[in-house]
Amino acid sequence: MGQLNEMKRKIEEKIKADGLNASDVKGKLGLRSGKLLAFISDSTPDDPVVIQKLRKAAKEVMNLNL
Amino acid sequence: MTWNSIRTKVVATLAGCLLVGVCGVLAVTQYNFKRDSQVLATESVAGAQRLFAILETREISKMSAVSDSLIANSQISDAFRAQDRNRLLQVSTPLYIDLKRQGITNWMFHTREPGMGVFLRLHNPPKFGDSLNRFFDKEVVRTHVLVSGNELAKAGFALRVIRPFPDSQGQIIGYIELGEELGQFIRTMKQQTGNEYGLLLNKKYMDRQFWADSSKVWKRRDNWDDNPAFVVADKTTESENLMRFDNDLDSLPPEGKVLERFQSGNSVYVRGIFPVRDAAGNTVGAMFVVRDISSFYLAMRHAMKVMVIVTLVALILGMLFVQLLLTRLVFQRLERITAIATRVVGGDYGTEIQVSSDDEVGKFEQLFEQFRCVFVDVLAHVPELQQQAHGGDSR
Repeated sequence: MGQLNEMKRKIEEKIKADGLNASDVKGKLGLRSGKLLAFISDSTPDDPVVIQKLRKAAKEVMNLNL
Repeated sequence: MTWNSIRTKVVATLAGCLLVGVCGVLAVTQYNFKRDSQVLATESVAGAQRLFAILETREISKMSAVSDSLIANSQISDAFRAQDRNRLLQVSTPLYIDLKRQGITNWMFHTREPGMGVFLRLHNPPKFGDSLNRFFDKEVVRTHVLVSGNELAKAGFALRVIRPFPDSQGQIIGYIELGEELGQFIRTMKQQTGNEYGLLLNKKYMDRQFWADSSKVWKRRDNWDDNPAFVVADKTTESENLMRFDNDLDSLPPEGKVLERFQSGNSVYVRGIFPVRDAAGNTVGAMFVVRDISSFYLAMRHAMKVMVIVTLVALILGMLFVQLLLTRLVFQRLERITAIATRVVGGDYGTEIQVSSDDEVGKFEQLFEQFRCVFVDVLAHVPELQQQAHGGDSR
């Protein structure tokens, strides 16, 4: 538990650092991974399928290695 | 642009239409040219045949009128009745010189049947006494009225009239014959139509040696071996290629025949041929007609270029217009919906989709906006729903 939330935190940091449109980027990641980033919290279970999809989406959309 | 996008497919379809359109224009123009050149060739053959018939009729009429006045000439009549060849030659020669200028190159007097020999040839006085025994001679003897038509002699083709020569009491004392070389007709025809003509003679009715001898006399090339079935007696063009014909003259239909189109250098010709029959109905020769359709061909090529350019421009403009229309009416609006849907998923719940039109995409925009509202409402009530779910579980 907590791995997805950690990934979410890194994504938000990258968005802030690069000055990206948060809703646009989060929307793309959400659609590709099949998980709304707003719903990810510390208590979100670490579903390996979702983790894999989100990692792939982050690489493709933001060029971020999670 | 990806290969499976609607935009690519539309562009590919329109490009296909462009190709088909240009090919269609080329095919239609080519078909029109072939059809029109065929019509021109047919019309040239029919026109030449009509003109030839008119000239024949006119010349027969002329020779008939001339023979009337010759028969009425008392000096000629007296000399012929007296069978005085020298006197007849003497009184006729000045008239023959005049008639020759009018195209009447043959003038003969024949004795009465049964022998019906040549009494005098004005065009060849030393030769006389022979019997020709032609269709003409038999016909005039049988009918005792004027007989006219074409006659292929050993070395040439002539239009002739032959009629009884009566004395003042109406008794037939012999026959008078006038003739014109058919070769001169083609020059008149060329003057009137601008087409090129050639007169072909069927070898079957000719004498090889006589043709060789007459070629020497007339200082023309002996062209007997040029073609297997016919000789070119006369032509209005220097070109040998234009008069090419490989079939048998006897096989020609009465209305003539259009031959293949012919290209020589920058010129394009249509060609045709029609039979020329003698008085007995034999196909003793043929008239070759060549019409230069270069100006028509160039006009067709120009029209084809213009049509291709116009078609290309119209289709390219059409392609651009369809592309612009699709981009504005469909693609841009779909991209806008995609961007808003993405932002909503990303947490920007307040971005509304504006319904820009009442068309198909507009209906989709409307549906998507309704879906967004439901989605936002669901998200707003997630805690409440979770609570209800937990409450349900505890019960």
